[in-house]
Amino acid sequence: MKISLNWLKSYVPIQIGVNDLAEALTMTGLEVEAVYDRYDYLKTVVVGRVVSISAHPNSAKLQCCMVDIGKSLVPVVCGANNVYVNCLSALALPGTQLPDGAVIEASTIRGAVSEGMLCSEAELGLGSDRSGIMILPKDILASLATGQPLTSALNLSDTVLEIGLTPNRSDCLSFIGIAREVAAIQNTSLSYPEIKLPEGKNAIRQMTSVTILAPDHCPRYAARILAGATVGPSPHWLRDRLISVGIRPINNVVDITNFVMMETGQPLHAFDFDRLAGHRIVVRTAVSGESFTTLDHKSRTLTADMLMICDGEKPVAIAGVMGGFNSEIEPATQSILIESACFDPTSIRKTSKYFGLNTDASHRFERGVDPEGIVFALDRAAALMVDICGGVLIEGVIDERPVVQELKPIVFSAEATNRLLGTQIDSAVMDSMLQSIGFTVEPLNQDQRNVVPPSFRVDVSRPVDLVEEIARLCGYDRIPTTFPVISEGSAQSFLSQNSREQILQLMAGLGFSETITYSFVHPQSCKHLRLEPGDPRMRALRVLNPLSEDHGIMRTSLIPGILETVSRNISRQSKNLKLFEIGNIFVSNGQDVLPDEIEMLSGLWTGARHEVSWHTPDVACDFYDLKGVVEALLAALHIHDTRFFRNAVQLCPYLKPGIAADIQCGPQVVGHIGQVHSETLSSFNIKQQAYIFEIDIRKLFAMVPDVHQTLIIPRFPAVARDVTLILSKTIESSRIMEMVQEMHDPLMERIMLFDVFEGGHLPSDKKSLSFRLTYRSAAETLEDEAVNELHKSISDKLIQKFDAELP
Amino acid sequence: MILPAFLTAEHTTVEQQIEQILKQALSELQSASQTSQIQAFSVQYLGRKGLVTQYLRNISQLPAEQRPMAGKRANEIKYILEEALQKALQEIETRQAAEDVGIDVSLPGRAIFRGSSHPITRITRQISEIFTRMGFAVAEGPEVELDHYNFEALNIPKNHPARDMQDTFYVSEAIVLRTHTSPIQVRYMEKHAPPFKIIAPGKVYRCDSDITHTPMFHQVEGLVVGESISFGDLKGILTAFVHQMFDDQTSLRFRPSFFPFTEPSAEVDILCVMCRGKGCRVCKQTGWLEVLGSGMVHPAVFENVGYDTSRYSGFAFGMGVERIAMLKFGIDDIRKYYENDIRFLKQF
Repeated sequence: MKISLNWLKSYVPIQIGVNDLAEALTMTGLEVEAVYDRYDYLKTVVVGRVVSISAHPNSAKLQCCMVDIGKSLVPVVCGANNVYVNCLSALALPGTQLPDGAVIEASTIRGAVSEGMLCSEAELGLGSDRSGIMILPKDILASLATGQPLTSALNLSDTVLEIGLTPNRSDCLSFIGIAREVAAIQNTSLSYPEIKLPEGKNAIRQMTSVTILAPDHCPRYAARILAGATVGPSPHWLRDRLISVGIRPINNVVDITNFVMMETGQPLHAFDFDRLAGHRIVVRTAVSGESFTTLDHKSRTLTADMLMICDGEKPVAIAGVMGGFNSEIEPATQSILIESACFDPTSIRKTSKYFGLNTDASHRFERGVDPEGIVFALDRAAALMVDICGGVLIEGVIDERPVVQELKPIVFSAEATNRLLGTQIDSAVMDSMLQSIGFTVEPLNQDQRNVVPPSFRVDVSRPVDLVEEIARLCGYDRIPTTFPVISEGSAQSFLSQNSREQILQLMAGLGFSETITYSFVHPQSCKHLRLEPGDPRMRALRVLNPLSEDHGIMRTSLIPGILETVSRNISRQSKNLKLFEIGNIFVSNGQDVLPDEIEMLSGLWTGARHEVSWHTPDVACDFYDLKGVVEALLAALHIHDTRFFRNAVQLCPYLKPGIAADIQCGPQVVGHIGQVHSETLSSFNIKQQAYIFEIDIRKLFAMVPDVHQTLIIPRFPAVARDVTLILSKTIESSRIMEMVQEMHDPLMERIMLFDVFEGGHLPSDKKSLSFRLTYRSAAETLEDEAVNELHKSISDKLIQKFDAELP
Repeated sequence: MILPAFLTAEHTTVEQQIEQILKQALSELQSASQTSQIQAFSVQYLGRKGLVTQYLRNISQLPAEQRPMAGKRANEIKYILEEALQKALQEIETRQAAEDVGIDVSLPGRAIFRGSSHPITRITRQISEIFTRMGFAVAEGPEVELDHYNFEALNIPKNHPARDMQDTFYVSEAIVLRTHTSPIQVRYMEKHAPPFKIIAPGKVYRCDSDITHTPMFHQVEGLVVGESISFGDLKGILTAFVHQMFDDQTSLRFRPSFFPFTEPSAEVDILCVMCRGKGCRVCKQTGWLEVLGSGMVHPAVFENVGYDTSRYSGFAFGMGVERIAMLKFGIDDIRKYYENDIRFLKQF
């Protein structure tokens, strides 16, 4: 909200500097977000004296003037007919931006050079006169030379504070509200505008009536009628006030309602009384489906719970939100009904949200207006209208008040307040603090008080609201800094936190860069993964109001986000990437219940295996590079018994068939790994191979042992024996290793695959696998013969089982 | 036994002969400058047919009374020569090493892909470490949340203007993407009795996107509940946090604000870390940076989870991780966090 200091001074003297005032307001909870000079746009407009006038060579309407601005003479082309030699006027120099947006530039106007513009009052935003250039009185040169800024010549100075109000402080949505805070800061008094109401002869109750059919939505409605008014432009002072806070002047009647709203915080509405059917007001909820045209000429369909202001036949305004086109003040309007009312905040908010209409009025009604300030605002507007619009004010006020909200006292305890704040403020000091901002305080005993807030503080209803006032008035900086005393027993971190942290560190240690991508993805991303309709990852949660289609659904896999990151990096010439992400995926259980949130880890490797250097050739990474990463990660987490199985293609259609595997830890499949399918790659516009894994890390968390036992380092030496088997390509190496392990021979310590060979002299359907078996006894040094015998028996079993041959 | 030429007639006794062999051997060794010479020396004296070896072998032919003395001395001499030989070899190696050009140590080492942690993870970790050192536990909760936990239970009823403070993504009437991590606090309170100190880090979502806002960002919020927890305690904990997160010279300013779930509420500003309060672009010339929102837990929130408000009080606070990371790392555009440009990521 904009607050002009000049305007504010009408209610309270300002005794401190602007910066101190801004700081003080901020520290009482009214955050001053910006302070600016209202006339900053005039800083390049100077006082100039026209020294000569000559005819324009190519135009009969224009004249060429030379203007003295002190240090130089400026040629200016001028079209006004009130210019004369030696007149003083306002010259806007090149670079000036006028309130209508026009920027003055040095130019040639129909062949004559012009280096500025002599301006009218209206063009400068300083008045309504646009009949000719602004002529300044001669006597201003007594104190100022030509070339001085116009603002100094006219004593134009005003500072505007931009205040960011929190939703609870509806009492400060007005100049009087802010003035009240300033008065409290300075400990000065507040002056309210004087209202003088000339009364006419007719009684208002004979002319009109107000019927409230929806008292829940409208606890109070007051009205006055002005007859014989003249609608026209507002006087300069009124337009100036509105412009200073960013409100566009419309006509005198509307301007007065806006002015009084800014002054008091009470939104008002003016109806053309003669256009009200039956000359009366009915406040009721709408008929569902009823259509209504608002002041902005838009036709709107109403719903049953909307509160409407109606005349004898039809709606004439959406209560508290916007008036109707059918009762708008027009140039010919003579009789005006001024409305000042109080509406239910929730009802107004619903309607305003429904139509997307956030007006100055709805903003205030949603936050709550002072129910006791209604007639004051009405009278103030009526008095101004009589002054400005003429006419006769009809005697009396309509003030329908079906519901009187009682001001309930709040029981306030000084001791409880001090306990919550950690202060030791004397209860008498608290009493006077509350009184200073208009609260009435009635002692109940030594400690407790009955406190009644002023009617404009609609946000205060609980004892803690009063604690806040005490804290605010005391100043947060004066509350002592202490430390809470809490037993430490409750502090324990979750295992998942620690395990996640471990995985984050391990992945970074394994050379991967952590990415964080948005949890929402494009609805097409499931298609890009080539998922089938029945796949659980097709059950994506839709966002009803996404910022764009790109963010339309919650992700059901981390893979689209990572592939998008890869694509973006490759387009920026970074082609060797090792990336990972840890984050939740969301599998919908329907839009009306919470989804399953599953924490996943995904890792991707694309491009070079090593950073290419003088001793390292440029080799692309492959499946086994990434598999090695997964193995290292799981081993470091002390998760053993990890196996990789040829993956069922329908589980991971985004992986290339044949180069895809399930990752199984113990009995559970925890994730998948493989080469990204070429169709998926091209959906993301990636033209190089990429390998990816995705693991459900909740499952890992459950497997990470809390503590683990160390193994004893053997005392006796090991003996190694090799065996090479020639067998069918269809037999996976892991089957041989597993078979050996499943023999559970106590002397067989370890089996390791050290060579794989295909081609050469081998038949095309065969491969050769070479294993090294390590034998060791915990009790003695093994004899060669015993080892040879054991090795032969194991080899023979393998040959028989896998139909293998020795080389 | 074939005697070498340097044994002249005067070396008549066995003792004299062996002493002469030693003398000769040592002087030859002294003049040796190549490894090959040493190797030849080793063969000549200590090899299978070397002089000392032969001598030792011949001892058995000496008269019985001379054998012990001669044998002892011969073994001593063998030992002396072996020692001298090792020393000479080392000297040659040392000398040669000094002359050798060696390898080009300036050639790059075998490069290893260096990984990195995302700046948001790093800052979240740092914040969490500070609070866990102060005895806070870490709590987590769902990102897709019931309207009840995100708003209603936090004293933000439907159709209240406070809802405008957070632009919300909706999944349905009753389900939202959480706009803050405060719902974790409500869920925690439903399951735990005071006293406790927790922090709740996590992703949050708001419909907003520009140079200072992304539709997804990260928060760490905290909650302390116990008997007689005061606003002074709030100031104490947050001051300690700021001093550890930034440095202990950083000034703080607590100023009144409004959040529906706390009262009194305070915004916490720190003296601008860029200009130290002089005024700059980062602090918009104010000298202060808003880093934390905080306040005493509103009694309505406690009532919603069934806590006895006459017995317990508490405070809550929250901060945006992106904003703190921007200050710590000098990042000027929040969107950089989610572009995941590897050249950005590798810097952390």
